Amino acid sequence: MNFAQFLKTDKLMSADSLILFFIVATVLVGGAILFSTFMAPTSSNPAKFEPYECGIPTKGTTWLQFNVGYYLFAILFLVFDVETVFVFPWAVVMKELGMVAFVEIVIFFFVLVLGLAYAWKKKALVWE
Amino acid sequence: MEAILGNQVMFILFSAMIVMFSILTVTSRRILRAATFLLFVLLSTAGLYFMLNYQFLAAVQITLYAGGIVVLIIFSILLTSHIDHKFDRVPAQKLIMGVIAAGSGIALSLTTLLTYNFVPANQEPISVDMNTIGKSLLNYGDHGFVLPFEVISVLLLAAIVAAVVIAKRKKI
Repeated sequence: MNFAQFLKTDKLMSADSLILFFIVATVLVGGAILFSTFMAPTSSNPAKFEPYECGIPTKGTTWLQFNVGYYLFAILFLVFDVETVFVFPWAVVMKELGMVAFVEIVIFFFVLVLGLAYAWKKKALVWE
Repeated sequence: MEAILGNQVMFILFSAMIVMFSILTVTSRRILRAATFLLFVLLSTAGLYFMLNYQFLAAVQITLYAGGIVVLIIFSILLTSHIDHKFDRVPAQKLIMGVIAAGSGIALSLTTLLTYNFVPANQEPISVDMNTIGKSLLNYGDHGFVLPFEVISVLLLAAIVAAVVIAKRKKI
């Protein structure tokens, strides 16, 4: 069986509704953009392309270097994002497995709360 | 028959999006745009996982890669001071070498894929829904994964501590 034949098997999700979704989305968004392109009156002048800022012309580039604090928050977010991935399957079967699942997740959370406590103690959550 | 055609259309659509945005990622000369194109590559890959009925993996792909990793990449770009830097056009010699390297990679993958004789599996497909994953993750008997599950929390703890230690260093 080559790959083209594999695509013809019924082992894949049915895609009809997805295709319909793609077509409807393309037609609606594309239609709206086309409609406004043709219907809206157009005018252009230099002031239109200035950034909005009460009268004073901007100096230099609008890019600026971000605070390092954002990076720490992003990493902490990522760690707890990974945690969610493991908590979600647990939440699905929690009711069925009962106490055992509960004890297991308590151990799991305990270790992670240590990490949160460490970050808290080191003032990583304080904005500088 | 219609569902079969639908699958092919969806596969072509997703693959085309992946290929197109991958090329845009590596050819874009502004790094923030490259990161945004990478986001679309990861989302299209999640679409392929959905097609293969891997709902869990698709959800992980969207929350972790599209949601987490890309945010991290964008923050690390915004932290550098050369955000508005536009990279120079790649010299022709480098471009040709790069195209040759990428082309030989494509040729190798294609020959392998097209000549390999895929054997259809006889056994029933194993369902990989959330219920199955949750049960085997919390199962402490045979074929259970409760120890890895608990060890993961230690790994995540190490990641938190390392991130805090590196970011809170006094002198950089």
